[in-house]
Amino acid sequence: MNRRFLVGLLLLWSLGPLLWQLYTSFCSDQALTQPFASIDQRWTLIHYRNVLTANPPFWRYLVNSLLVGLSSTLLCLVLALPAAYALNRIPCQLSIMSRLALVGAALFPYVLLFLGLLEFARGLNLGNHLLALSFPYAALSQPLAILLLNNAFNDLPPELEDAAKLEGLTLFQRFRWILIPLISPATASTAILVFLFSWNEYPIALTWISDSSKLTLPVAMARIAGSSIYSVPYGAYAAATVLGSIPLVLLVLIFQKPIVSGLTSGAVKG
Amino acid sequence: MIAFLLLPALLLLLVVFVGPLFRYAWLSFHADSVVTGLIAIPNGGANWLRLVQDQRFWQDLGQTLRFSGVSVGLELILALMIALLLDQRWRGRDVVRTLTLIPWALPTTVMALGWRWIFNTPYGPIDHFTRMIGIGSLNILGDPHFTWMATVWADVWKTTPFAALILLAGLQTIPVDLYEAVRLEGGNAMVCLRRITLPLLRPYILLALLFRLAQAFGVFDLIQVLTGGGPASSTESVALYAYWNALRFLDFGYSATIIMASFILISLICVVAWILLQIIIPTHSKSQAVVEP
Repeated sequence: MNRRFLVGLLLLWSLGPLLWQLYTSFCSDQALTQPFASIDQRWTLIHYRNVLTANPPFWRYLVNSLLVGLSSTLLCLVLALPAAYALNRIPCQLSIMSRLALVGAALFPYVLLFLGLLEFARGLNLGNHLLALSFPYAALSQPLAILLLNNAFNDLPPELEDAAKLEGLTLFQRFRWILIPLISPATASTAILVFLFSWNEYPIALTWISDSSKLTLPVAMARIAGSSIYSVPYGAYAAATVLGSIPLVLLVLIFQKPIVSGLTSGAVKG
Repeated sequence: MIAFLLLPALLLLLVVFVGPLFRYAWLSFHADSVVTGLIAIPNGGANWLRLVQDQRFWQDLGQTLRFSGVSVGLELILALMIALLLDQRWRGRDVVRTLTLIPWALPTTVMALGWRWIFNTPYGPIDHFTRMIGIGSLNILGDPHFTWMATVWADVWKTTPFAALILLAGLQTIPVDLYEAVRLEGGNAMVCLRRITLPLLRPYILLALLFRLAQAFGVFDLIQVLTGGGPASSTESVALYAYWNALRFLDFGYSATIIMASFILISLICVVAWILLQIIIPTHSKSQAVVEP
């Protein structure tokens, strides 16, 4: 009984703000100003229609974020898998030190890097190239990815690889046919966490991309918000919030197991 | 061969993490702004002198520390309560655990926009509530006394699930018989919490604290979208100030100085917080005394 109340409170706290956005997004402009009064024409789909027919249409940002997310995840894994494997095969002290450095880098508030990265993008003319964002994203998620994958490699019995070596398999073959398949759960967790990070990242996308058809979802949301706090079209915002939340809500519901195990193993062994 | 496997990742890490820091250190001793035609000219310690005398920087620093301290503190307490609740066995627990993760997964800017509507005066639900219970309209996003609390609220909402998950992972490593031993000796739930849970949870609390403290100190997305730093720059964070300096005032030299100072400060704060928590949280050895008479 007591617990049921607490759980209810927890759910209200977690989901209430989202549900309020959902409710707002279906309210007509007139109803918005009186959320609790009874009004004849309360429900409308006009906000969704406006958001989806705006120029550029809202789904464009979702596609942009999806592209950046996928390419960053791929790049990050391609770099992190060999590094995580190699980290077990260098002298022990060096390995411990590199792991400490990686934990430090993972804790680092990366927003402070925006200026250096912006200069970097200007120097190499990477601004306004959507896929160029994969470089900073893959790099910023590298510490966490290497640590998680390194834990997974650590858990494999060393005899396994020795046997494969005796069979005459090359390093690449061992990697491709034995090691990668065995650590695929950890790889999946890592991939989802990296994807989430790239999808949500804001300061770097904000400073690298200015072309309105190339914005990622977080930047587009902030730009929709504009600069004024007063007199803004909140119905459209709410519709945008709901549309922007749906992919992530689905992602969490579908992949909650690898997400939890990724975050957890990072915490337990990190 | 091994070096060949490590090299690409190492190179990328150096370019993205170490490169900017060296660049900031160098840039902070140069004038590099529209005035100099965006060409870096050495100016001795002028940037650092300006920083020391810059009232707005110190105000922002104070506000950032207030934001980080309050929000991380609230978050850890709340996360511990949620973790304890989710650690017990009851029907539907896994579903609830998944649903509570949702706030953490959403982009900060998306919900920052949502919070702006929820805190809206006079149409938001919070304003309706305060008027209903007779406090009257608080003008949350327009009154500097309340706006920073709104930013803390929104931050706690978004980041508590992460801390709760880490603490939950810690709770699940604690063997149940420890609790039973305390119960046998007549200890109540409070004794369990103080003598067993907290000491054994210590590494997880420290991890959550350090990670969240560093991230909260760099708060940027939330403030920029929710309040824009206002009203009257009462919620501006150091990261946002550095951003304004670079992108609005086009003063890269000074922006780099602010970032460098923030980096040094947050490193110091993390070390101090670490030491403080080592002292505050009871250690494992004391808990042993309860179990083994």
